[in-house]
Amino acid sequence: MTISVAIIGAGFAGIGAAIRLKDRGITDFVIYERDTRVGGTWRDNTYPGAACDIPSHLYSYSFAPKPDWSHTYSGSAEILDYIDHMVESSSVAEHIRFGHTVNGVAYDAEAGEWIIDFAEHQPVRARCVIVASGPLSNASFPNIPGIDDYEGHKIHSARWDHDYDFSGKRVAVVGTGASGVQIIPELVKVADSVKVFQRTPGWVLPRLNARTSGLFKRILTDVPLAQKAVRAAWYWGHESVALGVVWDTPLTRLVETLSTANLRLQVKDPWLRRQLTPDFSAGCKRLLMTSEYYPALQADNCKLVTWPIARLSAKGIRTVEGIEHQFDAIVFATGFDVSKSGTPFRITGVDGRDLASEWSRGAFAYRSVAVSGYPNLYFTFGPNSGPGHNSALVYMEAQIDYIVEAISKLFQFGWKALDVRPEAQHRYNENIQQRLQSTTWNSGCQSWYLTEDGFNATMFPGFATQYVNQLKTVDLDDFKITAAQSQSGLVPAG
Amino acid sequence: MAMDMDNMLQMIRDRQWALADIDWDAPGADLIEPELWAKLKPFMSDLMWIENVGARGFAALAKKAPTPTLKSIYEHFHAEEQKHANAELALMRRWGMLDNDEIPAPNVNVQLVINWLDRYSDDMKLSFLGTVIPMLEVALDGALIKFITDEVKDPVAQEVFRRINSDESRHLAVDFEVMDILGQADIRTLLIELVGGWIKPTFLIGVLSYFPLLNKMRDNIVAMGVDEERLYQAMRRYRSVGERSAFTRRLPMYRIVSWQARKVIDRTSKYHWLADSLVVATNLIPMPLVHRTPTWSQELTYEPVA
Repeated sequence: MTISVAIIGAGFAGIGAAIRLKDRGITDFVIYERDTRVGGTWRDNTYPGAACDIPSHLYSYSFAPKPDWSHTYSGSAEILDYIDHMVESSSVAEHIRFGHTVNGVAYDAEAGEWIIDFAEHQPVRARCVIVASGPLSNASFPNIPGIDDYEGHKIHSARWDHDYDFSGKRVAVVGTGASGVQIIPELVKVADSVKVFQRTPGWVLPRLNARTSGLFKRILTDVPLAQKAVRAAWYWGHESVALGVVWDTPLTRLVETLSTANLRLQVKDPWLRRQLTPDFSAGCKRLLMTSEYYPALQADNCKLVTWPIARLSAKGIRTVEGIEHQFDAIVFATGFDVSKSGTPFRITGVDGRDLASEWSRGAFAYRSVAVSGYPNLYFTFGPNSGPGHNSALVYMEAQIDYIVEAISKLFQFGWKALDVRPEAQHRYNENIQQRLQSTTWNSGCQSWYLTEDGFNATMFPGFATQYVNQLKTVDLDDFKITAAQSQSGLVPAG
Repeated sequence: MAMDMDNMLQMIRDRQWALADIDWDAPGADLIEPELWAKLKPFMSDLMWIENVGARGFAALAKKAPTPTLKSIYEHFHAEEQKHANAELALMRRWGMLDNDEIPAPNVNVQLVINWLDRYSDDMKLSFLGTVIPMLEVALDGALIKFITDEVKDPVAQEVFRRINSDESRHLAVDFEVMDILGQADIRTLLIELVGGWIKPTFLIGVLSYFPLLNKMRDNIVAMGVDEERLYQAMRRYRSVGERSAFTRRLPMYRIVSWQARKVIDRTSKYHWLADSLVVATNLIPMPLVHRTPTWSQELTYEPVA
């Protein structure tokens, strides 16, 4: 049996794609999820203080509005509730198959079908595949010498151990990125001592997280236009930030000045300020939105350590200044294994071509969603789709709608395959890479946005509006269309 | 042949050691004779503070590094100099030189350099910091460690200084490689940087702190009954290694530091009239007037474990 669409991953993107497929009348789809519940990143990131740094009214789908967010920036539990609510209200739950870990997908060109291979189950055939496994789904401990020698408790921010009691414990936090700056203030409240190991400081801006009043919630519930207006205000506010974050402009200096003033206001000690001052352009790495981080660092039971880490020992962390810092637990807030040059699983396209090999020097795609030689296979958060200044959900929604439109056309016209023309893909990427040269991300700083060779396979060099516009219509001139043969028995499902 | 900085960084990472690797209670502490012990105490204190000053110098260099690899190398050197200071403090504790386990205060000349580094070092150009800091390392660090390795028979001290020497050899290799790279800039750029640096009053304050520091250390060495020629041999090394590179010789700041080193070595030079006068003058400065303890100077510890 062949299903119409296989969606891999039941995170924000997978659930969103399922809802939009249903809206188009395509119901013959299955979501394959390796875990036992939906939620993706927000299922995994349940560390204390976990929250989104984009306002909730913008960090949500426009087709699934939620007027009663509790705060301007909601915590992970509320975001997970939102995803659960979407699943319930759209009845996509029946389409989800948990405990399905995809080992690989391979294209059967003759049949115009993808064969999906699982670790635990029999393979399945699907006409189309949406790879919605996301870039932030694989977390692992960092490659620090001696990491296996450490005998204390090791916790990764994306695999939080809720059974571990931090009260009275000596704790280390390795990493001061988006997760680290949220975890540290919470740990400082309960632990006996917290040492924060920083490699590179980030630009920090205050985050004013107000509780939403009952009146405001009622207005947004009763007046949908008001909710749209709030979303639009946040959207355009963030769009304007692109001028200072995506490109190195005088506004970048303004962002840096504001961040420096914030640091100066909150941190009195000049040496600590020096340790916390970044030496790269704002925007080159993700801006850190927090008002709690600097005060937490200066708490009596907290200390910032900027000495390079030499290795882990049985009892703690040895830094290059020769001291062994001993701990009961080490928290690794070191982010995710972002796939910039590989694929989340084996993807075999036309004539046995292997996508991981093609991407070995950096991933690329057509408008971030499709790759030539891999017909009817689409990515959410594919290459060069990352926002540096706006909501990932805005980008995701545009990708989903584009993918659903392409799939609808395939079924509507009874085609066998839609495959991006290599020249269209090449033209697109040449343009993207050229535009990336003038962005802050390619300005010389090292970040997870770049491969080791400095290739930027993650970010989109422009406004969210530009990104959304390029995905507004499926330009069939850029695709090679293979018509279905009558004997193939391929019947559109929707 | 140009140094492969990536390989150097890897080597630095591979050769790390910690205070916990050393048995601080091993026998041999009593091998220091009472007469040497008394002289060694202020000497070790100065040495430890000079390491700490060197650490701060590398912190400033890390801010100026043109590549991420060199930045990371300087960050490691910053920490390694701190490690050397920590290890020397641990030796002082082993030898019973710390009153109530307290960290001794720096002398006035070191204090002046601490103050200057704290305020101004981050504003200095790489071509200035990158030529002066190697001199400090060669002359002070190198000479003092060589002396102490020869004089102190305690096996723990021997082990500590063997490790420190090994680290310092990598520091110097990178120092001279960076001077070679800096010397490849066009002469116009070098001259603009030279003039721009020297017209800064803050730099002149630094020079006035640095001159007496060298002569003060020379006096300390002499007071210990050691031939000052040992210091001079180390200073000659700066020049002999620097002269090997045509690019380094093009660096105006290298020429100036080298010239100054020649003057220090020449006891008959009028330079000493100035430098010795500065030593006398700085000794008259009441310590409370200049005593400042920036946070970075408070991080020294003799404890291998924290």
